[in-house]
Parts: sequence; structure tokens; C-alpha cells
Amino acid sequence: MASVTFENVTKRFGEVVAANDQNIEIKDKEFLVLVGPSGCGKSTDLRMIAGLEEISEGVIKIGDKVVNDIPPKDRDIAMVFQNYALYPHMNVYDNMAFGLKLRKFPKEEIERRVQEAAEILSIEPLLERKPKQLSGGQRQRVALGRAIVREPKVFLMDEPLSNLDAKLRVQMRTELSKLHDRLKTTVIYVTHDQTEAMTMGDRIVVLKDGYVQQVDEPLELYNHPNNMFVAGFIGSPAMNFLDAKIVKEGDDYYTEGFGAFKVKIPDQLKDKVKDYVNKRVVFGIRPENLTDAEITHDLDITDENSFEAEVEVVEPMGSEIYLYLAVDEHSMIARVDAESEAKVGDKIKLGVYTQKMHVFDNETEEALF
Amino acid sequence: MPITLKDIAKMVGVAESTVSRAINGKPGVGKETKQKILEIAKKYDFQPNKLAQGLAKQETHILALLIPGLSKGNYSSLVENIEYIAEKDGYQIILCNTQNDLKKEKKYLNLLQEKRVDGAVILGGEIADQHIVNTVLRGHKNIVLVNRLCEEILIPTILIDASYGAYLATEYLINLGFENIGLITAAKNDEYIESEKIKGYKKALKDNMIEYNNELIIKTDGSREAGYLAFTQLVNIDINPDSFFVTSDLLTLGLIESIKMGGFFIPQDYPVVTYGDTLINSIIEPELTRVVEPLEKAGKLAAEVLINLINDDQAKEEIKVLKPTLKIGKSTKY
Repeated sequence: MASVTFENVTKRFGEVVAANDQNIEIKDKEFLVLVGPSGCGKSTDLRMIAGLEEISEGVIKIGDKVVNDIPPKDRDIAMVFQNYALYPHMNVYDNMAFGLKLRKFPKEEIERRVQEAAEILSIEPLLERKPKQLSGGQRQRVALGRAIVREPKVFLMDEPLSNLDAKLRVQMRTELSKLHDRLKTTVIYVTHDQTEAMTMGDRIVVLKDGYVQQVDEPLELYNHPNNMFVAGFIGSPAMNFLDAKIVKEGDDYYTEGFGAFKVKIPDQLKDKVKDYVNKRVVFGIRPENLTDAEITHDLDITDENSFEAEVEVVEPMGSEIYLYLAVDEHSMIARVDAESEAKVGDKIKLGVYTQKMHVFDNETEEALF
Repeated sequence: MPITLKDIAKMVGVAESTVSRAINGKPGVGKETKQKILEIAKKYDFQPNKLAQGLAKQETHILALLIPGLSKGNYSSLVENIEYIAEKDGYQIILCNTQNDLKKEKKYLNLLQEKRVDGAVILGGEIADQHIVNTVLRGHKNIVLVNRLCEEILIPTILIDASYGAYLATEYLINLGFENIGLITAAKNDEYIESEKIKGYKKALKDNMIEYNNELIIKTDGSREAGYLAFTQLVNIDINPDSFFVTSDLLTLGLIESIKMGGFFIPQDYPVVTYGDTLINSIIEPELTRVVEPLEKAGKLAAEVLINLINDDQAKEEIKVLKPTLKIGKSTKY
């Protein structure tokens, strides 16, 4: 068991910078998810920890030990990928044990480890079976077992679930989280899927173009994104972004959408926008923080927290409805209660839960709140 | 001087690119012109310049064969068969002797990363180390493993099931009525392939409800001398073995010498089965009953899979396990 630390880590492939001056601290026994779109450098980070890629600058530590020059096999890590090889002529036991056998572990030790791993993964009754007699989920567990028997300090997982069908993926997500609880070992997990990140991670590192955008717990990330990238990447449907400016009337501040809307900024947030009066900003609001004023129970609709929008598409999801709306030049999505009777072409009043609104600097895209 | 695209272009009075399109069956050439070009190409036995083609496609038409050493195992037979298929498909091979040294292996794998070869077959060596995994992860996927396992990722692999071979040999002796089968292996250092053979031996006993006796299993360094000594060691234990299964050729040679030296006869006193269709096994008297590995098939398959990978012709996720057979000689029955 160990922590993993990135201190000013940079990785260049020729002209391309895959990791840019990254500082990340992964705690002992933590389930940390690296998430970002393809090409953000998340797999490169994982491979640097594994020792498969050299580091151009900076230091990576596992525990207290700098591992920059330590070969992969001596780093005490195990990797799990989406494409693993289960050998058809070997039973489950041998498929989990062969790595230890090849590393010349004593027989009794191999047996102990395989049995323990099988127990953790609930695959003891399957040890004598051949891979073709296993279901997709069971096969995945055998692949995990192969990593577990190595008893590594850190597990590195690179999109291990992306080959599974949707249903099994959801099931394996829960299983992996439970597995982490039982193993009590550091897990670093790479995915491009923000849902996977949100549901599995103790903390999440959001990456873009080799830069760390934010490191935080899932809900913090969701509720308090550092910038527009994080705000837009985490959450589905994504946060609405609307061009606006800050206006001041009396003691109050508003985000004003060039005639299309005007929403009052809550008093406790006034300080954060006082230097932005009459400047361009981006108003951000998540679809679930908009509501159809007709059916709102918990929001007092006023002129300061609502505006009119035209319904372009209605997508009933069963428990809720996605409304695709237009307000002048702006378009947005609202995730409203299924009671809403809004129809295509209707002009409806949209309520805004202003305590949940965000404002971003138009130039830097950094969040003001 | 072989005829070139340029020559044909001149003869027909068209541009070189037109000749190229006609020969490669691409559109944009009139029917008559195409016919004319193909006739001339046939008449003068036009051969496309592989080097020029390779340069255009950034291909070298060279395959690297990484082997741990020519003298060990049956690599020569594998190499020959890989070369046979490669040559038929217009590839040349370069042999890279890694001597089981990871640094050398890494260096040879760089040929792939530097695009100096189109693909690589890696023979033997027990486990696919991180540099192989990393080469694949970096997108250089034209790698085929032969008799080598990989823990982390799926690399196309051809395996020969040595455990099954040992099973066949042991079962054969059991069917002849023998129960105390002495097993002589080169597993002194728990070599993986040898441990697989022990596994096959044990399974055959178990499937036939014969209790196995650890004393009958001798783990040696695999030398001729060790084979010689194994016999004297085994005949001195309480359960005198009634037959032998030996997992490599030099060991077999030593064992046979020892049996004969003791004044015993093969197969009358001690039937012997060996593993591998090697030169040494082939010259031992009497003609040995032996486990024969499908090396020809393995070599050809390895080359085919690799060339298919290079040409993107098949799914890249295949593990093929080939089974040995038993060739009956005169060392087990009389």
C-alpha cells in the first residue's frame, strides 16, 4: 500500500507535451480517477507511474521513494487493461497463477495468493473452469485476479471496462468499487467516461491537453468546477453556457444575456463579480437547475430568477423530461420534472435556481463561482 | 535490366501514374489503355520494385525474428517455417538473437518502433516483459508471440500446449499397463515449460486414478549427465519405476546410456518416451516413442498471423493453442 506523488511532472513526445508540469498527490488506499477526453494525457500519466514511459522532467514517488529510475518490474504495481489474454487451454487457477509461476514464486505462496484473490472476487467455484465456460463478467474478474495475486502497492487500471456491454459495465463499476474497499489498496483508474469517474472515484483528476484542470471529490467537481472545461466535461447533459455580461442596478448584480435574460446574482456571491461590471462573462447553469415555472414547487418565481424560452424539442425520459430550448440566439437544455406539459413551440417561463448558477471569466474561462 | 513503370509508360505513350494505376487495378484508366499496359507488363515480366513500393507505403517488407538462442529448443524448425511463409509473401526476415537478455530484446524491438521492420515474431522467453507491452501500447501492434505468455494485455499468440504433450506420453505408458512412471525433467529451477510438462504428467495419472509419487519426479539441469544420474537415482528408491518419460533430448540420451550401461534393455526392462522430435532424439537407438510438437504449423501460423496483422486483415486478438501428437517408436513396445 502506498501513496503516489507527481511533483512538477512533464512528459514530452518530441513537440507534443503529454503532461505539463503536473502536481498530483494520490493518497494511500485512495481510488483516484484520471479522466479527460482522448489525447488529454491520462494514459501517459498511468504509464509513467508504471515505468513504461520515462519522465521528461519532475519526480514521481511511490510511497516516499522516487521511482524515476526504477524499472517497471521493481515498482510494485499491477496494471489492468481492457484487452487481456485469457489462455484458453488453462483453467482459471492457472490463468491467475502463471505470472507468479514464471517469477518463480514458491508453490504454497502461489496457492495462497490465488485462493485469496478468488475469495475476494467470489470466483472460488470457477477455479477449475476454462475461460470459454465463463461469462464476460467472470472473465473480467479473472483478469483482475491476475493483477491481485501480484499483491501490488498500487493498481493501475486503463479503461478496463470499455470492452464490456453497457449493462455489464454498470455492474462491474459497482464491483470494482467494492473490490477496492476489500483490497484497501491504492487504485489509479483511467477513463474517458465521466459517469465512471463520478461513480467510482474517491477523488477525480480532470485532465486536458496534458494540464491538470482540477483535482477534487466528485461532488465538489460537479458543484464547484474550476473552469468551463471541467464544468462542461462533468455532468450529462452538459452544463449550459450562455454569453452574458454583468450589470449592476442599485446594490444588486445581474448576469444579463443581451436582452434574452437577466438573472440576479445571489447576495453572498456579489463580491466575486464586482470587478466585472459591464464586462463579458459566461453564465453557466446545469440543466437540472432550470425548471418549468408552471410546475415548480420549491422556487418562488420572480422576474429576477426566470426568463422566457421557446421549446424546440421535448425528450421524455420517463422520470423526467429534457427540454431543448431557445432564448434569442442562445440554446440550452433544461431537465425538468415529468409533470411538465411543455410542448414544442410553446413559450415557457424557465426558473433558475440561482444558488446553483456559475459565472466564468470570458477570456480565461476560469470560474468566478 | 528489368522493365520499369517508366519504360512501359514510354512504350504506351502515357504518364507513369497511369501505368501504376492500371497495374494496381485502380480506376481512372481507359479500358484499351489498361489492356495495352497489362499486355506489355506481362510480356516483359514486369515486377514491381518492392523497395520503391515500401518507401511509398513506409514499409520495409522485413520481419524481425527474436529468438533466445539457436541452440536451445526447437527454434531452428520454427524459424525455417516462419521464413518459408514470409518469403512466399514477399517478406525477408532478420534473425535477432536475444540470448534471453532483456536489454538486447529491447534493442531489437526498437527496430519496430523505428519502422525499420514491419513486424516482429518473438519466440520463447516465458513472459512478455514491460518493454513488449509498452511497444504495443505505443501503437506498434505488429507483434506475434510464440510460446510466450503476457499478463497485462492481449497480443496475438501461438502456443504449443506442452502440458498436453506430457499428458499424451504419460497416458500412453499407462495404457500399456505401467503405473510407476519415472518422470525426468529439466525443471531444476522451476522452468515454466517444464512445470507444464509435470502438470500434464500428474493430470494423466489423476485421470487414470493412479496416485502420483513425488519420488518418481526428478528435476535436473537438463544435461546428458543428469539423465545418466537420474536412472541410478530412481532405481535406488523403494518404488522401482517401471517406465520413463523424459522431457528433453539430452536427458534422454543420458538416461538411455545409463539403462544400457546397467545391462538393461529398452523397451523390455524399461520403456522410454521422450519429448521433442529433435535431431538427438532421432539418432538414439532404439527409435524413440516421442511427443512431437507441431512446429511447422506453429511457425507458419506465426508468420501468417503477423503478415495479416501488418495488412490489417484480421482481428488482432487471437490466441491459438496447438496440441502436440505422439509418434510411436520402438522404445515402448516389443
